[in-house]
Amino acid sequence: MDLKTPLFDLSKFKNVYEPSEDTFLFLDTLEQELQLILSIKPDFVVEVGSGSGVVITALANACKNISFCLATDINSEANSATAFTAKLNNVTIESINMKYLSNFKPNIFDVVLFNPPYVVTESNEIKGTGLNRSWAGGKNGREVIDEFLKLLPNILSYKGVCYMVVIKENKLEDIHNVVVDLGLSCYIVKERKVPGEHLFVLKMYRK
Amino acid sequence: MKLLTHNMLTSKCMKGVTVGYPLKINAFDVKVSEVDFNPEFVSRIIPKLDWNVLYNAAESIGQVEDMPKSIVDDYENNTDFLKKVHRVLLEVEVINGELVCPETGRKFPISNGIPNMLLNEDEV
Ligand SMILES: C[S@@+](CC[C@H](N)C(=O)[O-])C[C@H]1O[C@@H](n2cnc3c(N)ncnc32)[C@H](O)[C@@H]1O
Repeated sequence: MDLKTPLFDLSKFKNVYEPSEDTFLFLDTLEQELQLILSIKPDFVVEVGSGSGVVITALANACKNISFCLATDINSEANSATAFTAKLNNVTIESINMKYLSNFKPNIFDVVLFNPPYVVTESNEIKGTGLNRSWAGGKNGREVIDEFLKLLPNILSYKGVCYMVVIKENKLEDIHNVVVDLGLSCYIVKERKVPGEHLFVLKMYRK
Repeated sequence: MKLLTHNMLTSKCMKGVTVGYPLKINAFDVKVSEVDFNPEFVSRIIPKLDWNVLYNAAESIGQVEDMPKSIVDDYENNTDFLKKVHRVLLEVEVINGELVCPETGRKFPISNGIPNMLLNEDEV
């Protein structure tokens, strides 16, 4: 099944993460997984940290009339960019300024996407709500990832599945153990080496 | 912000808040725009809703029109009912306004359709 790459134009949104290798890997993963995603008939689909909005827009386009799609980001310019991208591609996405999915009722999401800030940085670089939050991941690039993972059991619906981008430096083996300890299954569904980054996409769901 | 989204939002994550639901809506600017009607989707969503919260939210912003106060029997086969629910869930949108925590009164602004739920560190 094909996943249309959305149109986007970030010329009005200077402080928003520009779609990059990780974004495109994520899009390719969703294309690969699309049949499976559609087969669970997701009611509620959400992207955490939607940035430009291209990822959730691509999926919203494939789930038109099947799912209700939402997106959060802590960067308010990203919220506007996501709404703009959705409009440009004629899909409906509810864009919300929020940390993770903190203000949603528990266990409602059937599909959760997150391309997190995964770069290894100093912990004190994780501050504010600007462009730095796109990449600053703190120690082992894991600080935001780990905070998110802890929330995941209270985010996923009984049939929910989460896709998340990570890099080698995030220590995959350890992430796997953390996720399994939370009572979820964790698999690598995509892998790609690009100059400077060894990227993976993980898929997590209830056992 | 659509009323389906409102049905899912809480302020429970705030310090000292026990339920944080439903959030009150102060709507300054409401838009109703046409959205493709999919009866199957609306039927799937109805059992997941907090119906009273939806009804009261619609009423509070003057958008309930003739949607019944309670879910009708055999709604899956009642296109007329599903259309009314569809309108309230997906076509009505708060463009500018605010959401208010029922316990603390904390206001979350909605501007250009985007709610701002971000909390300060001392609020969580
Ligand atoms: C690597 S960028 C990905 C952007 C876009 N999804 C993409 O794939 O191109 C990470 C995004 O997550 C957002 N973000 C970081 N921490 C977040 C948090 N705790 N809650 C919500 N969004 C967050 C950033 O503002 C940024 O837009």
